[in-house]
Amino acid sequence: MPRHLAAKEFRKADMSNVQQETFDIIAKQAKIDIETIKPESTLKDLGIASLDAIEVIFDIEEHFNINLPNEDTDFDNGTVSQLVDAIERQLAQKSTEG
Amino acid sequence: MRRIVITGMGAICALGHDAPSVWKAMTEGRSGIGPIHHIQPGQLRNGGIAAEVVDYDPANFFDEARRALLDTFSEYALIAANEAIRQSGIRFEGELGQRTAVVIGTGVGGETTRDDLYERLYGEHQGRFHPLGIVRMMMNAPASQVSMVHGITGPSFVVASACASSNHAFAQAAMMIRTGLVDAAVVGGTEACITLGTLRAWEAMRVLAPDTCRPFSQGRRGLVLGEGAAMYVIETLESARQRGAEIICELVGTGMSSDAGDIAAPSDIGAAAAMNMALRDGGLSPGDVDYVNAHGTGTVANDSTETKAIHRVFGAHARELAISSTKPMHGHALGAGGALELIAAIGAIHDGIVPPTLNYLGPDPACDLDYVPNEAREMKVNAAISNSFAFGGLNAVVAVRRAP
Repeated sequence: MPRHLAAKEFRKADMSNVQQETFDIIAKQAKIDIETIKPESTLKDLGIASLDAIEVIFDIEEHFNINLPNEDTDFDNGTVSQLVDAIERQLAQKSTEG
Repeated sequence: MRRIVITGMGAICALGHDAPSVWKAMTEGRSGIGPIHHIQPGQLRNGGIAAEVVDYDPANFFDEARRALLDTFSEYALIAANEAIRQSGIRFEGELGQRTAVVIGTGVGGETTRDDLYERLYGEHQGRFHPLGIVRMMMNAPASQVSMVHGITGPSFVVASACASSNHAFAQAAMMIRTGLVDAAVVGGTEACITLGTLRAWEAMRVLAPDTCRPFSQGRRGLVLGEGAAMYVIETLESARQRGAEIICELVGTGMSSDAGDIAAPSDIGAAAAMNMALRDGGLSPGDVDYVNAHGTGTVANDSTETKAIHRVFGAHARELAISSTKPMHGHALGAGGALELIAAIGAIHDGIVPPTLNYLGPDPACDLDYVPNEAREMKVNAAISNSFAFGGLNAVVAVRRAP
């Protein structure tokens, strides 16, 4: 079961947690050491391509209970830090809607 | 070797309910893509567009007893097969019934029936299933229906290789005719995949375009699903001449290959292998080909990979080819794709018009060939190939040539 971050618990202070949890998901899916993930890495740099990349996004969506639009999931050029930004945007939106 | 000719052609898709309407729309560059009618709005992330069959009432085509047995994918197959058989004038009486095959490509099978039954089971928690569920949704249903309606008693089966199903079906039927196992075949592909379940699954793969389908173009964002069927009567040149049938064109070769690589990402080597094999099988040299009906899905990966593959196969002649994808018109009809797209290749040979690649905004550096952008082109076409490349790395290509 994914550990859902309840919207009301989400605050600015948790930003680093979002990055940490995202890196955990990527490391697990790509079977790589979490230390090798840098904010400026693209999924492609990390050797995550094709369906594996789509699975990472799916795992992230399930974990945070959000929907990431296709525009925010550019596997070739989008960096991990941009991905974290996109996740935070969705979480913030969910928090205002909630 | 026995030569194989096409003597009948039938179709139904977003562009029309018969082959002449579909071909006319292709020459006019008309698109059948629009908002999805038979899925409630708001259930899809991207708003939901597809190339659906419209103004369609099965009651116009089938009596009630037959309809009870049919999922939409079998209806489409029967409508197209009936038209093709009518046009060819062939009659499956006596020995010819036994010496005719039915081979139909389909990717997902009876999805409408399956979706409805599972909605009852999981959504409404109703235990009672319709007793005809199985005979409607089984993958082989369209082949069985065509054989039953037309009294064809030779080998009949369905071929499944996702988006390459139709072209694999042509290859199977052609092989059976060439070896002498049969003298004729009713062959093509069918798909009725515009259901909520199928759409959601495709959406999750992040390959559906939110705007429209624009193959080989800059700014392309993915594919748009379509549905329908196209069916053909193919037979030996000898039998067509004996019957005095009108020969539409010759089916000269087929090629099949497997990438044995990624389950989703395409391979230019695998695609090129299938094209090379189709040319070799058809006794064509690359320079003989004038038109390529591309797989051209509109995804970033397919179109650049297919372009690379065409360069590999055709060398310098690649720049002389007219290449187009008709998917912006009839959508990506999965298992019916190759069969619908063969209409474009046949029409180009027959009428000297190459259908365009619609929605083209401008060149992408990774797609540097002549894709006949946006407007149909009048040109003489003697030989054409039609490409289909499936998820799972299964490739199949059909080569056709002007009638002998």
